[in-house]
Amino acid sequence: MKLVGVLLAIVGWLVPVVALNFTQSLGARFAMTIVGLAITLIGILVVLNNAHQKHAIWKL
Amino acid sequence: MMGLVTRKTGCSLLAVLVLLICGLGAVGQAQNAEPASPTAATAPPAAAPVTPSMDAPLDVKAAQPPSADELAKGDPGGTKTGTVSDVVVSDSKKGLTLSDTVNQVGQNRIAINFVWTLVTGFLVMFMQAGFAIVETGLCRAKNSNHTMMMNFMVYSLGLFAFWVCGFAIQMGGGAPYSTLGGANPLNSEHVFNFFGKTWGVWGTHGFFLTQGGSYDVGVMVLFLFQMVFMDTALTIVTGAAAERWKYIAFAISSLFMGALTYPLFANWAWGGGWLSQLGANFGLGHGYCDFAGSGVVHAVGGLTALALSMIIGPRIGKYNRNGKPNAMPGHDIVLVLTGCFILAFGWFGFNPGSTLAASGNGALRIGSIAVNTMLAGCTGSFGAILYMWIRYGKPDASMSGNGLLAGLVAITAPSGFVSTIGSVIIGLVAGVLVCVSVEFIERVLKVDDPVGAISVHGTNGIWGVISVGLFADGTSNYGGSWNGVNGSVRGLFYGDPSQLVAQLIGVGTLIGFVFTFSYVLNMIIHFIVGQRVDAAEELEGLDLPEMGALGYPEFVLKPETVSAMAAD
Repeated sequence: MKLVGVLLAIVGWLVPVVALNFTQSLGARFAMTIVGLAITLIGILVVLNNAHQKHAIWKL
Repeated sequence: MMGLVTRKTGCSLLAVLVLLICGLGAVGQAQNAEPASPTAATAPPAAAPVTPSMDAPLDVKAAQPPSADELAKGDPGGTKTGTVSDVVVSDSKKGLTLSDTVNQVGQNRIAINFVWTLVTGFLVMFMQAGFAIVETGLCRAKNSNHTMMMNFMVYSLGLFAFWVCGFAIQMGGGAPYSTLGGANPLNSEHVFNFFGKTWGVWGTHGFFLTQGGSYDVGVMVLFLFQMVFMDTALTIVTGAAAERWKYIAFAISSLFMGALTYPLFANWAWGGGWLSQLGANFGLGHGYCDFAGSGVVHAVGGLTALALSMIIGPRIGKYNRNGKPNAMPGHDIVLVLTGCFILAFGWFGFNPGSTLAASGNGALRIGSIAVNTMLAGCTGSFGAILYMWIRYGKPDASMSGNGLLAGLVAITAPSGFVSTIGSVIIGLVAGVLVCVSVEFIERVLKVDDPVGAISVHGTNGIWGVISVGLFADGTSNYGGSWNGVNGSVRGLFYGDPSQLVAQLIGVGTLIGFVFTFSYVLNMIIHFIVGQRVDAAEELEGLDLPEMGALGYPEFVLKPETVSAMAAD
C-alpha cells in the first residue's frame, strides 16, 4: 500500500503539469490542478499514512 | 503665436541635438546638403560625442573638494568626508575622468547590494540559533543535547553538501542576477524538451564554487545567501523527528536534502527552472512566484518533516492504545519564546534580503517588505492566541510562539508583492491555521510532531504560496518584470486568476514531487541504517546513548517519569 500511496502522489502531481500542454483554457487548467491536488493528498494522507499506521508503535 | 514660439524653440532644441549627435563635421555636411556619409549614418548617435569626453580629465577643483588642511581639522558634521577626492581614478597621471565617475557609480550600486545581501544573509544564519532553542525547549530535558546537536550539525552538513553540488543544481543556470553584477558564470541550465517547450530542471555550473568559472565575487554573495536559506529548510526537519531520530540517519538524510531535495525545487522556482517559466511558456501570470521561500524553504522543510515523521512513527507514550494522544510538554518555555523572538529578528533578513538588492530594480520596496513581515508575524500570534484562548480557555504559550512563526512563514512568499492589508489577513489566517493543522495532524493523522514543524512550515508554507495568487496587488516592480514576464505580479483579487493557477501548480509540485522524493530518499536510508533509535534508548533519553553526554548533567531526571513512560 505504501507503493500505491507514493504512485498516487506522483500521478496527482503529473495531472496538472501534463494538462498544461493539452488545454489553453484557464478554467480547465484550474480544474485539473484541483483534481491533481486531491489525488496527491489522498495518496499521502490516506493511503500512505494508513499503511504506516497499520504497524504504529502504540498499536503493538 | 504660441505655436510659432514653440516651433522656433523646437527647432533650436533640434539643432542642439543634431550638434550633439553628429558632431561639427556632420553638421557641416548637412549645411552643404550633401547626403550623410555611411559612417555618420551607421554610427551610434550618442556614442560619437560622448566617447572622447569619457576619458578627458574632469575639472576636479570645480567640485570644491575639502583641502588637506581642512580635513586635518576633523569632520564632526560629516560634510567633508566622501567627496570627489574619494572617487577612485584609473590613471593617476590623467586624474579623474567621467569614465572613472560612471564606473564608481556602478560599483557603488553593486557594493550596496553586496553588503545588503551579505548582512541579511548573516541575519538568516543567526536564525539557526533560534530554531535550535525553540526545538530544544519544546523537547524533554533528557533529549536536549541530542536536539541541540542536530540543530548545530545541520548547519555544517547542509553547508558542505550545498558547496559540493547543491548550489550548482539550484542556481547554476539562473544568470544573470543583475542586482549582484550578473554572476554570469551561472549560465548553464539543463533542460528537457516536452511538448515544444523547454523545461529547466537543474543547473550545471558552480560545483565546488569553482567549476564553470564560478570563482566570482557575485557568485560568492549569492552562494552565502542561498546557503543559509537551504539550511533553514534542513533544520525544520530536526524538530519534527526529534526525540527518536537516530543521529547517523539524521546526518545522512540532511546531507542528501542539502545536496538534492532542496536544490531541485529551488532551481525550478528560483534558478530559472520550469515552474518559474509557467508564465513565459504557458501564460500563467508571472509563473510560480515565491518571493522569499514559503514554498521553496518552508514547505520543502515541512513536507520532508511529514515524510520522516510518517517513516519513524510517534514517540513512545505519545498515543494510548486507543489512539488518544497524550500531551508531552517541552522542558523550557522560556527557551521556546526567546527562540521565536530570535527567529522573528532573523526574518528581517529572510524577506527584505530576498530582493538581493537595496539599490535599483525597485529594491527600495525593502521597507514595505519589512513592515509586511512584522505585521504578519503579529497577526499570526494574535490568531493563534485567540484560537487557543477561545477553544481551551487559556492562551497557550507554545502555540502563541508557533502562531508568530506561522504568520512569518506565510508572509515569506507574498512579502514582496502584497500590501499591509494583505499581510495582516495572511498572518491572521496563518495563526488560526497552525492550530487547526496541529490538531489535525496529531488527532486525525496520528503523526507525532513534537514541535509543530509540519504545521508551522508545511501547512503555512503552502498557505503562503497560495496567498500570492490571491493578494499580490500589482504594485511591485523589480526591474520591470518578474520571471521574464513584463509588469507586476497580480493575484486573483487584483485581476489575474492565472497567477493563482501557477501557484497551485507549485503547491502540487511541492506535495506531489518534493514529499515523494523525500519519502523515497528517507525510506532508502531507513532500510540501510535505520531511522529510529531503540526503544530502551528512547525511554532513557537520547543524550547519553546517542551523544555520550547529558544536556543538563546536574539535573536529576525522576526515575518514576521514565518508568511511567515505559508502562504506557
